[in-house]
Amino acid sequence: MTHSSELLKGTLQTIVLKVLKDHGKTYGYEITQRVKELSDGSIVLTEGALYPTLHKLEAEGLLKTERIMIGKRVRKYYVLTPIGKSEAKERVSEFMEFIKTMGNVLQVQLS
Amino acid sequence: MLTHEQINFVIKDLNYRGIVAEEIQEELIDHVCSAIETKINNGKNFIEAYHEVLKTFGHTGGLREAQHQTIQIENQKTKIMIKNYLTIAWRNLRKQGIYSFINITGLAIGVAACLVIVLFIVDELSFDAYNTKADRIYRVNEEIKFGGNHIKLCQNGAPFASAAQQDYPEIEATVRFRSHGSYLVRPANATQNIKEWNVIWTDSTFFKIFSVNVLEGNPNTALREPASVVISKKMAQKYFPGKSALGESLILDNKYNAKVTAVYEDIPPSSHFHFDIMIAQVGDWPAAKEAQSVSFLSENFNTYLLLKEGADAKLLEKKMPGFLKKYFGPQIASALGSDFTMDKFLENGNKWEITFTPLLNIHLHSDLKGELESNGSITYVYLFGIIAVFILVIACINFMNLSTARSSNRAKEVGVRKVMGSLRSHLMRQFLTESILVTLFSFMVALGIAYLFLPVFNNLSLKHLQLPWASSSFYFVLITGVLMIGLLAGLYPSFFLSAFKPVNVLKGHVSLGMKSGLIRSALVVFQFVISISLIVGAISVNRQLNFIQNKKLGFEKNQVIIVHDAYALRPFPNVQTFKNEVLKINHIEKGTISGPLPVEGPDSYRNNNTYWKGGNQPTPNNLVGLQSWDVDADYTATMGMKIKTGRGFSTEFISDSSAVILNETAIPMFSLGENPIGQKISTFDGNRPDGSPDPDKIRSWTIIGIIENFHFSTMKEGITPLGLFLNKSDGNVSFKFNSANTKEVVQSIEKVWKQLAPAQPFQYSFLDEDFRKMYSSEQRLSQIFFVFAGLAIIIACLGLFALTAFTAEQRTKEIGIRKVLGASVRSIVVLLSKEFGKLIIIAFVIAAPLAWLGVDWWLKSYTYKTEIGVAVYLAAGAVAFVIAWLTMGYQSIRAASSDPVKSLRAE
Repeated sequence: MTHSSELLKGTLQTIVLKVLKDHGKTYGYEITQRVKELSDGSIVLTEGALYPTLHKLEAEGLLKTERIMIGKRVRKYYVLTPIGKSEAKERVSEFMEFIKTMGNVLQVQLS
Repeated sequence: MLTHEQINFVIKDLNYRGIVAEEIQEELIDHVCSAIETKINNGKNFIEAYHEVLKTFGHTGGLREAQHQTIQIENQKTKIMIKNYLTIAWRNLRKQGIYSFINITGLAIGVAACLVIVLFIVDELSFDAYNTKADRIYRVNEEIKFGGNHIKLCQNGAPFASAAQQDYPEIEATVRFRSHGSYLVRPANATQNIKEWNVIWTDSTFFKIFSVNVLEGNPNTALREPASVVISKKMAQKYFPGKSALGESLILDNKYNAKVTAVYEDIPPSSHFHFDIMIAQVGDWPAAKEAQSVSFLSENFNTYLLLKEGADAKLLEKKMPGFLKKYFGPQIASALGSDFTMDKFLENGNKWEITFTPLLNIHLHSDLKGELESNGSITYVYLFGIIAVFILVIACINFMNLSTARSSNRAKEVGVRKVMGSLRSHLMRQFLTESILVTLFSFMVALGIAYLFLPVFNNLSLKHLQLPWASSSFYFVLITGVLMIGLLAGLYPSFFLSAFKPVNVLKGHVSLGMKSGLIRSALVVFQFVISISLIVGAISVNRQLNFIQNKKLGFEKNQVIIVHDAYALRPFPNVQTFKNEVLKINHIEKGTISGPLPVEGPDSYRNNNTYWKGGNQPTPNNLVGLQSWDVDADYTATMGMKIKTGRGFSTEFISDSSAVILNETAIPMFSLGENPIGQKISTFDGNRPDGSPDPDKIRSWTIIGIIENFHFSTMKEGITPLGLFLNKSDGNVSFKFNSANTKEVVQSIEKVWKQLAPAQPFQYSFLDEDFRKMYSSEQRLSQIFFVFAGLAIIIACLGLFALTAFTAEQRTKEIGIRKVLGASVRSIVVLLSKEFGKLIIIAFVIAAPLAWLGVDWWLKSYTYKTEIGVAVYLAAGAVAFVIAWLTMGYQSIRAASSDPVKSLRAE
């Protein structure tokens, strides 16, 4: 099954940061593919939603970009900046805390 | 991998779906292509793959949503946003190369002109401000009106200062200046004299009142002792180079030996006096003795008062009528007979008034008889201020006009931006950034231009202006200027452009840009109104000056050479020998020894005395102020003046030593009736010990001739009464010569001079040059006027040039079609220039009466003035029209003669 996009909304930045942290230099399409792979197809990013997020992270200084000509088209690669790396770590641990708290709130045992 | 064609298809299709924002366009293309490639590898065909990919984006809506969000995120970051604005502004400027160039140069010239004028005005306004006590220093003026006489002067009698200080405790200190013209100066141990202009006799209180720094010597005591003199640093270096001037001696006019008791810093250029040598007014020298005179009525001293802190000058001024009654009244009464009282004098409609001019107002607001130097004028400050504003406004109008005109070209951009979610405020910010960028650029260019041309302006205006690079307020003003002009000039276009309705624009109703035609036309008209007015002004000033130069003066000013400071030849009769020797030279026709000259200047030895009709008692009603000139028998012949009735002086009549020749104006003033020849005029010939004129010492002169009126002052004034007296006066020797080789004449006269007086400087001038110098300030005004009128026209034409270029470009297709259908080049040129031609005619109609008012106002200050005929106005209009037409003509002809195939083929 695929997860609801409502649930995904708040986590998109964390996902992008984590993917970039694990994978290094990546471009937009590759990120969507990567997420699809890792989630066994249960998380399908709305392709459109990805780019505003990337631009926002770039504007905040967490990412930097690099353009490479590929034949007739230009490919824009994203890399984490040093600030971005620590931010990625923080966001992941923050999210883990969140899940724990949610477990308590929803009275379920997390495996 | 996708083929090029397939990629092109994707690019075009995405573009068609509205993905245009640069920030995201590339990325989306790459993303879509990559996704398609994966799908093709999985066995799909291209079109199927493409549609599936689009679906994952949520089709067109999803794509646009992504673009919209991205743009919004980008715009939230100010830094990026400003960078973005700047990039777009820069691209736009580059794309519209010629318009940007015209915008920037036009504005730069305008700003540079404005900058120079502002420097000029600031300098004029800061005159005498170097005095720390400036707000407490006042100069005393007198205005006297009786009979047909009206005198406004800034000089008073010698005892005025001390009497006022005695009577009014609010006066802290006073100082008097007495000028005796130029002096011949040399150090005691040298033989060669040098002529110095800025020499003044003054009191020891000078340094207490004016903030002039003393470098050597004690300012408090420097002018206390007789025969002491204080000199400026410039003089010290000139006469005593390499050593201290303190204690050294200077010889003045070959007779006064004065000791230097102090050296002071040169008086700054922005002062209403520039004394280089100041002589103490104490001791036995004649000029010093005059300072101790008790006569309130011989008014030769410029008197300055320093009031105590908190004292009210207006209040003191109100006490002056009492002062007049107390001191002036008795002296006048004793001269005129006992029945005179000040009250009665004033009751009869006469005037005797004492007023104060604040020090800071002297330079711009005072033009009285007896000024220490010729002052500036507030009129010029206003005039130049107005011109500066005009030029700036013209330049700003260009900017606005070009921006709005170009708007139709940018309408699509605005439309798309709006559709893409750009807010109106974003657009306005974009346009304002552009205009501020252009303004900034212009200001930098303007600084360069101003720097280059300031020396030229200084030359023209006789100033020492400099760009104040070191002053922080200068930069503050510049930056404020950039922002202000940038905002003002950009505001209209930004409002106008950002108000476009995207639907209309994108549908193709781009002609919106032309809707502003009315406003634009109004602005063009306004520009040309100003330009035409300035041209009329410039031509009128020029004509008045020509009129003055060529007016019949009543004397012959050409080919007369004047040898100055002839008193240096003393003892008498050396000067007579000099004259006789020079008359032996070829080409020298006549010569005269006389102080007074028919032109005004520092060497013109003017003297004004009071006379009345002989045989009568002097009363306030029959007194006539008369220019009394001491001349020799050859004066009228050398100067080419005409005796109207009677005869001129002759050495054969011994009785001529008590004869007078009057000018025409004087006759009715003395009420001499039909036959004035043989009648007498009288004057006081001596003073009583108290300084008032002695009624027992009266001398009379017999009128032997009447001379035709001649102009001896500027044409601003009428011709006042004048009398010539046969007296020794060795100020100048003038020669009439008849030779084209003036150099040879000068050399041969100088040879004679050097033989007779080897140690004295040979100073000469030509009468026509001196005459021209009387009008040098008007001459400067006219030149400066021409320059700025020219600038205004150039800037206005730059704007017109760009506007026509723009219209021609807009109408390329129309012109093409007209040509194909058989229109001639001429008819198209007419078509294109007609529109602006009309505007210039309207501008002329508006400008003519405005200019007439201005010129009429200026000419009012002249008693003798030229007629400014309709021809001048027509000429100005024609000049503006021709220049404007030439500007437009080039564009029109270029557009009209272009090949229609080219303009019609491209779509």
